[in-house]
Amino acid sequence: MESEDDMIDDSVSMEDDFYSGDLSYCYDDDPNDNDNDYYFDDDNDYGLLEDDDDDDQDAIVSRRPQLSYTVLKEADIKQRQEDDISKVSTVLSISRVDATILLRYYNWSVSKVHDEWFADEGRVRQSVGLLERPTVQASNAKELTCGICFESFLRDNITSVACGHPFCLSCWRGYISTTIYDGPGCLSLRCPDPSCNAAVGKDMIDKLATSEEKEKYSRYLLRSYVEDNRKTKWCPAPGCEYAVDFTVGSGNFDVSCNCAFSFCWNCTEEAHRPVDCETVAKWILKNSAESENMNWILANSKPCPKCKRPIEKNQGCMHMTCTPPCKFEFCWLCLGAWAEHGERTGGFYACNRYEAAKQEGVYDEAERRREMAKNSLEKYTHYYERWASNQLSRQKALADLHQMQTVHLEKLSDLQCTPESQLKFITEAWLQIVECRRVLKWTYAYGYYLPEHEHAKRQFFEYLQGEAESGLERLHQCAEKELNKFVTGDGPSKEFDDFRAKLAGLTSVTKNYFENLVRALENGLADVDSQAAAACSKTTSSKNTGGTSKTRGGRGKGSSKSGGSGRNVDDTSN
Amino acid sequence: MSGGIARGRLAEERKAWRKNHPHGFVAKPETLPDGTVNLMVWHCTIPGKAGTDWEGGYFPLTLHFSEDYPSKPPKCKFPQGFFHPNVYPSGTVCLSILNEDSGWRPAITVKQILIGIQDLLDAPNPADPAQTEGYHLFIQDANEYKRRVRQQAKQYPPLV
Repeated sequence: MESEDDMIDDSVSMEDDFYSGDLSYCYDDDPNDNDNDYYFDDDNDYGLLEDDDDDDQDAIVSRRPQLSYTVLKEADIKQRQEDDISKVSTVLSISRVDATILLRYYNWSVSKVHDEWFADEGRVRQSVGLLERPTVQASNAKELTCGICFESFLRDNITSVACGHPFCLSCWRGYISTTIYDGPGCLSLRCPDPSCNAAVGKDMIDKLATSEEKEKYSRYLLRSYVEDNRKTKWCPAPGCEYAVDFTVGSGNFDVSCNCAFSFCWNCTEEAHRPVDCETVAKWILKNSAESENMNWILANSKPCPKCKRPIEKNQGCMHMTCTPPCKFEFCWLCLGAWAEHGERTGGFYACNRYEAAKQEGVYDEAERRREMAKNSLEKYTHYYERWASNQLSRQKALADLHQMQTVHLEKLSDLQCTPESQLKFITEAWLQIVECRRVLKWTYAYGYYLPEHEHAKRQFFEYLQGEAESGLERLHQCAEKELNKFVTGDGPSKEFDDFRAKLAGLTSVTKNYFENLVRALENGLADVDSQAAAACSKTTSSKNTGGTSKTRGGRGKGSSKSGGSGRNVDDTSN
Repeated sequence: MSGGIARGRLAEERKAWRKNHPHGFVAKPETLPDGTVNLMVWHCTIPGKAGTDWEGGYFPLTLHFSEDYPSKPPKCKFPQGFFHPNVYPSGTVCLSILNEDSGWRPAITVKQILIGIQDLLDAPNPADPAQTEGYHLFIQDANEYKRRVRQQAKQYPPLV
């Protein structure tokens, strides 16, 4: 990760604050101040990053503005393909059709084509099937026999590629049509003669195929340019038609498509920073192998209230006795000790403590599940459930974002007499929530694989994760609940400007926190040894951060600008 | 698409075959009970090559052409259970030029197919096994393999 250095230079100062463990200043900071500092920077950077006209979606990129990839529309792909073909055609002085065949053969690598061609043109021509002269002697006969249907035809009805093997037009059409309907193999079509390897190029397709077949052929050609090319991949989101061109060697693989889907270019799973591809693969495999078991256990068992072993109740009464050595006797319904049951709880076998509690909402289902996972002996359950619930929460946030963009923003714009363009901060907040949920989700896979014996690291990790959760909750709360007041209100509100400042501030602060979190985890929490103690000792001081007081804003800002505390992440990153 | 071309081509194949065909080979379209000729199914005989363990055998092979012929290759079948590493238990021959996804070209003739299969008999392709028995013996027990091939050749004497 050599580029790590570039990525960090403008953020070293933030690292200082981050590692000092004093995260609280962030939430106290003056939101307007933040707005200026981060927002305009970001917009400019993203403008460079993606030349798409949809500004809202650009903002989903919450990483360092670093140009390691380009999102390509279909027109861009075509353009690049045409350019490459022109380049090869010019340099090698061959037709565009031949250049296309050549490029496809060498997986659209212009440099590979050049290398091979100039090393041994004859061999390349032979293997690719670009013949310089016909292999069969042209005859002067008026009639020729088609090599497929064996009938005789006037010369006008016979055609051939460079080799000269004669076939009638209708057999050619049949041949071409069959191969096109058979799939992308039609791009490397050869002469129908069994011993001949002369290539059949796009010129023949254009001459002989139906318009539907030509359309198919062009599509395969375009797809080939993306799929056979080592530098490009399709965005894996369902229904997305963008491709991504990636410059290998630029450190992190995270890519944000214009369709708003973020994925890892390396493994094409959804974006998973700060966790590496290998861990993600391991985690996903584990989930597919175990999630069913886990789901079953969650759905069908309860942990023994005393020893926490999961217990399945497959029949019988509510009086449970745990297996030895525990032998704890309890009530299946309320999980209370059986000894406390009797006439006063509504009889031995119909526990009204449970009924009463259920009515009061104490036995909230989600609560119960969460409680159970926490107590479960299975460490995996703990991490999986949180991973999965952040996933769900992210999906919910995406849906909310969509709802916001399609319905609420317009309404809000009317109510508050504010143009929609000025409400961009709301969309940005939601995009940030979506992104944070994603990061948070993967921190659970990270935590699962963090070695048990690294106590200091685990402790520091859990601290960072906890802070991340509460910071995100604060933002989520503000974007959801506080915004609601203005959406459902019945007129312009004076407080709306305050709200704007608060939400924008929270967004930018949360964004910074998560970026730092990602970097810290990617570093493998390398500086935990020197920093963990300090950070943890300040945990308490950073807890009291509820309000929007501006008291410490100046100080926080100042220290982040000065960057003079002498700590440098690069010391420990490698 | 190429509707109708299959029969025309097969009629031409038949003509070409009658004019000239390799010695010992038989290839003719099936005759239905009512006396009409079905060009889409051909009954053929492939002689084992002289000087090989296959010599003396005249192996029956059926070619099933589809309406897509010659865009698609015919299906070539020996009798069920035919002993050869590259013949499926059903008798279907596994050969590169008969694979519509790779080796097949519409200009391949019936004659070329039959000669190709004759070559395959004594030169199996161990990279593409199609049956367990033939493959294992070919790889592990050359003597037993030879014996089985010779035994099979005797099983299919010339039809005179």
